[in-house]
Amino acid sequence: MSEDTKTPKPGFLPIETNWFDRLFISVVIWVALSLFWFRFIEPLGLSIWICCAISAVLAAYIIRRG
Amino acid sequence: MHSKTLGWALLAPTLILLFFFGVVPFIYVLFVSFHQWNPFAVNPDMIFNWAENYRRVVFDAQFLASLGVTIAFVFFAVVSELIIGYALAQAFMRDFPGKAFFRTIHTLPLIMAPIIVGSIWKLMTTPSIGILPNILDDWFGYNLNIGQSALQAFTVTVIMDIWHWTPLVTLSLIAALVSLPPDPFEQAQIDGANKRQIFWHITLPMIRPAIIATVFIRLMDALRTVDEVLMLTGGGPGSATRYVGVHIFKEVFPRTNYGYGSAISVVVLYLTIVACWLLYVSLIAPRNTRKG
Repeated sequence: MSEDTKTPKPGFLPIETNWFDRLFISVVIWVALSLFWFRFIEPLGLSIWICCAISAVLAAYIIRRG
Repeated sequence: MHSKTLGWALLAPTLILLFFFGVVPFIYVLFVSFHQWNPFAVNPDMIFNWAENYRRVVFDAQFLASLGVTIAFVFFAVVSELIIGYALAQAFMRDFPGKAFFRTIHTLPLIMAPIIVGSIWKLMTTPSIGILPNILDDWFGYNLNIGQSALQAFTVTVIMDIWHWTPLVTLSLIAALVSLPPDPFEQAQIDGANKRQIFWHITLPMIRPAIIATVFIRLMDALRTVDEVLMLTGGGPGSATRYVGVHIFKEVFPRTNYGYGSAISVVVLYLTIVACWLLYVSLIAPRNTRKG
């Protein structure tokens, strides 16, 4: 287990988070975005894979900089 | 190093049990939720259908309606339990004749199985034989019929939950109130603080961890209410008390729609975790001191 996993790191999120907290936040956002996409965006013709790509980029950003 | 090994050794039995009874069933439900599976259909096999069940969940008007009534149910039940529980805890902190007797009596609902609670309330609220409709009709001329009125059915399920679970809140808050040191209260009285100021600025902040823990427990419990409500109203009239737990039950067992039922269960679990996490973040998570 790396030091980064245990130590809270200051980032752009308003609360102190460690690596696992940021992963959790990313998954929560990923699921919320996917459900939102299914309901409102996909009927307009945009595939869910676009949502997955956006969520993956967002997750990487949150985990590194959050 | 030795104490670390000992710590893991002591934790191991719990972690192993949690893994087999918590993590493995969750992974299985997650796996099933990505399949179309009706074991009693012509084709009883599990058919992988990507996220089709989740796509169906967000358009399921019945599920969204049940989510709405569940949120209303949880809000009214948990807030009422917290207020009544605190009032009872404060009452039990004082001495009065028969205190031990009342303290024992008031915890009795806690030891009852939810299905029994549902049966008792069904007996009490059934028109013509129930005690509540008779009393309300005789004394106030009020017609109580939870089989016909959606609002009455919803209200009775909330009252039943309050009756069942307020003792848990009371016991938690009594434990918190008993453990408070007397010094801050004496100091506040010397400084001339009135009862309201003492409550808002001393009692409430000091018992906040107990309140938050109790709200967590009640929130998670109330979101998965099934048996009491199923026994009392069966989710009716119409879908007035079709809470998400009841909705999942009706989707999985009578319709044997395991894949879709699992997807709804995962979504409800997700919403429960998010609700608790938001509560944690807004109330007790340490704030970031440096701007990123």
